[in-house]
Amino acid sequence: MRDIREVIREEPLVRGRLLRLLAEGPLSVPELSQHAGLPAEEVMVWLMGMRRYGFVAETDQDGEGHYRYAAVRAP
Amino acid sequence: MGYDALVVGSGVAGMESALKLGDMGYKVLVIEEGPSIGGKMILLSKVFPTLDCASCISTPKMAATAHHPNVTVVTEAQLSRVARDGDGSFRVGLLKKPRFVNLSACTGCRQCEQACTVSVPDQFNGDMVARRAAYIPFPQAVPLKAVIDRAGTSPCTFGCPAGVKAHGYVSLIRSGLYEEAFNLVLEATPLAATLGRACYAPCEGECSRGSLEGPLPIRKLKRFVADAHYSHEERPPIDRPTPNGKRVAVVGSGPAGVTAAWQLAKRGYAVKIFEAAPVAGGAMRLSIPSYRLPAAAVEWDLANLSEIGVEIATGCRVDNLEQLKGDGFDAVLVSTGTTRSMKLGVPGEDTLAGISSALDFLRDTKLDKAPDLGGKAVAVIGGGNVAIDAARSARRLGASQVHLVCLEGRDEMPAYAWEVDEAAFEGVEVHNGWGVVSFTGKSAVATVQLKQCTSVFDADGRFNPTYDDAVRSELRCDAAIVAIGMGADISAFPALAADGARRLEAAAATFETKVPGVFAAGDAVMGPTTIARAAGHGAQAAYLIDRYLSGLELKGPVGPLPAVDKDQVLSRQRRYSRRDPLTASIPLEPSPSNFNETEAPISEDEARTAVSRCLDCGVCSECHQCLAACPADAIDLDMRAEEEELHVGTVIISTGYSLFPADAKPQYGYGEFPNVITAMQMDRLLAPTRPYNTVLRPSDGKVPERVAYVMCTGSRDQTVGNPLCSKFCCMYSLKQNQLVLGALPLADVTVHYIDIRAAGKGYDEFFEQAKAMGTTFLKGRVSGITETEAHNLVLRYEDIGNGGGAKEAEYDLVVLAVGVQPNAEAARLFAPGELTLDAYGYMAEVDEDTEPAATSIPGVFLAGSASGPKDIPESILHAGAAVVQAAAYLERRGALA
Repeated sequence: MRDIREVIREEPLVRGRLLRLLAEGPLSVPELSQHAGLPAEEVMVWLMGMRRYGFVAETDQDGEGHYRYAAVRAP
Repeated sequence: MGYDALVVGSGVAGMESALKLGDMGYKVLVIEEGPSIGGKMILLSKVFPTLDCASCISTPKMAATAHHPNVTVVTEAQLSRVARDGDGSFRVGLLKKPRFVNLSACTGCRQCEQACTVSVPDQFNGDMVARRAAYIPFPQAVPLKAVIDRAGTSPCTFGCPAGVKAHGYVSLIRSGLYEEAFNLVLEATPLAATLGRACYAPCEGECSRGSLEGPLPIRKLKRFVADAHYSHEERPPIDRPTPNGKRVAVVGSGPAGVTAAWQLAKRGYAVKIFEAAPVAGGAMRLSIPSYRLPAAAVEWDLANLSEIGVEIATGCRVDNLEQLKGDGFDAVLVSTGTTRSMKLGVPGEDTLAGISSALDFLRDTKLDKAPDLGGKAVAVIGGGNVAIDAARSARRLGASQVHLVCLEGRDEMPAYAWEVDEAAFEGVEVHNGWGVVSFTGKSAVATVQLKQCTSVFDADGRFNPTYDDAVRSELRCDAAIVAIGMGADISAFPALAADGARRLEAAAATFETKVPGVFAAGDAVMGPTTIARAAGHGAQAAYLIDRYLSGLELKGPVGPLPAVDKDQVLSRQRRYSRRDPLTASIPLEPSPSNFNETEAPISEDEARTAVSRCLDCGVCSECHQCLAACPADAIDLDMRAEEEELHVGTVIISTGYSLFPADAKPQYGYGEFPNVITAMQMDRLLAPTRPYNTVLRPSDGKVPERVAYVMCTGSRDQTVGNPLCSKFCCMYSLKQNQLVLGALPLADVTVHYIDIRAAGKGYDEFFEQAKAMGTTFLKGRVSGITETEAHNLVLRYEDIGNGGGAKEAEYDLVVLAVGVQPNAEAARLFAPGELTLDAYGYMAEVDEDTEPAATSIPGVFLAGSASGPKDIPESILHAGAAVVQAAAYLERRGALA
């Protein structure tokens, strides 16, 4: 696990990439992690930061206890 | 300034103290170190045992404190000292930290936060989510105003003599805002492409990442944004400011002149540059070889000046400053650089053909008038960067041999070591430790006669070479280039010349010359420097000329914040991933044959990878996006700390407690396993203003099905030096159990405990309620936690209630019910030992039973958890005791205010 400060610092770098993936349709954290090839715990940090600043919003839950998130704002 | 009472800390006990004293009619000052009052309570989800909303209770109290007519609240403030006077009152040193936001103008709209390009962990959300460097602490903050997190100036920015916000453009590139990054460079100087190529990048020498794997390629990043801008066919135009009706003449178009002209034009001045040479750009265009700085790059930058309305007259030598004034210029800046070469003063130098100064040689080369050096041997005299430029240029002009002769040893050479290495790679032979005796030849130079230099500098470090005349040598050559120094051409401006020096004289603080209305800047004043330093000097000159023409006192702008200490920066992270620096080498040739630019640009991918290594040393990057976004013009990055002395009648310390750092119990994996969190983090997840959309696992966003609590983490624990019970961990855990079960009805919640301490009205009933809702309680210590591949957590625990023995259980999420520790920082405000501590490190009450809240210092009282762990109702009660004690003290000695 990387230092949280290091992970959070990179949010602006990965934001566009994650939003482009979410533009195809809502994804859960594990799905987004798989599509982006990035660690799920880091995707979670970035996604929640993006949620806070209005880039994404949760939609529904998959059958395994994960929320799906959709892009609601351009990068 | 006087107050009856000073309350230090604005948690629930501090607010209660202030409100009650205020209600009694006393004038109260509350100081809070953070950006909002409210302490920890405002961050909680609900309170026990009533499960009332914590925000709903806290927020009115915060608002009442801020708006009470007798209470003054100062956030972002610290005390530097507290001293008791003979009459029993106190002298207090108050340090108001800069918020960088004008409180009266800020509307709390958060547009600065949305625009900010720096992401850092949000301490108000347990570091579980990002906030920005410009931020509002939390939605219920009082004051609900932005604050900009600035630890100081980032070392790269601090190290830039041109005043370019290096961290700022790095941060903008990270956000994909390339045009904004370019414009940020333009705030300082129009020379983005030039500095992106030819700057010696002092910023990189200061980069904190240099202490890890190597610095960021900050200069190349500047080139990246400059090239990105200039390569756009339809780039946005540069706005011309409204003319202010005043005219300024700038003599010389080097980096100082063009930067000054740019800055003055941005302020609305009509600026005309007079350049004696046939092309504009000074040394950038006429001295620095094209393989380092192509003419096109300089011309791109100079086009910015034309676009903003600066007129550039080339081939126009000025030698009568009075004439300029007569022509209607309100002020003149002389920035003519160092265009006169120094001579060796040796036989043959002035009489033999084939000997030239480096400046003339480089200038002729840049103007396509280079001598034919094909197949010739060339001697270059000098050890500085100009000598290297001349030597490498000579190779490109076909010289078969280039000998660089200098007094200095290799390590003493003024030229940068990497430039010497590159020159050597290109076939330049460096002869260190030789001085020139003479040039010989019939009509043209044929040899350079040399003698050995035994030392260059004297004991005081001054240039004072000594020689061994007995050790001689000679170099055969067909041409010689002398590059031993340069100075200003003072012949045109004798009235401005410094006595006995080859430079112009200008006052260091005001840049004024002896001639009223005439200023001087750049290398002409400082001697040969660098493009960045000259550009910075030009910008300062423009600032001062503007003040001069505005009738203001001639003083410089507010200086930058001190550079952030690199050790402090590096200590912010527990660990660093290795990030290799960009290592693109310059493709050199042993026999270069053209002046094509040697350094390749970096790609967008390389730029993005490079900026990912930035450590955001200053936190705020000074990218200035907040300034652009703020509709109220409330951002003021020039704010600085203010210190004042206050006189107060009594002091109440309500600085609360510190949470136990959960990573101090490494066997529980906090900070290593993403799904091990603290109870404070869980409270945030349960709060209405939570960082996630609900209670989720940090590892993958899954709704947890099995949640465990590990009680007494860091309390009642001799192994971490804290034998005390923290008193309220059991109750907050019981509260959270119920809230988790309410939020996640299908979840299993298990509490691993030693004892459940639920003493208090309704507390035991609260315990029973948690059990009734389905919480499982397992008595016994947890010895350790390990993680599965799926980030589940396996707890090893003692199961006393079920027959004993060690067992294991797997959970989705583990919550560490961390205890509390003393926060006795306030004791340092007093003379050593004056404010006594108890055996556990809390600030001591002299007698908890008969004199609650009273300390070892008459007139100083404690409220809340500053004297030991207390829950919210106890803290409020204790604050009541402190208020009564303080009021009695004031009445005994007479109120101040």
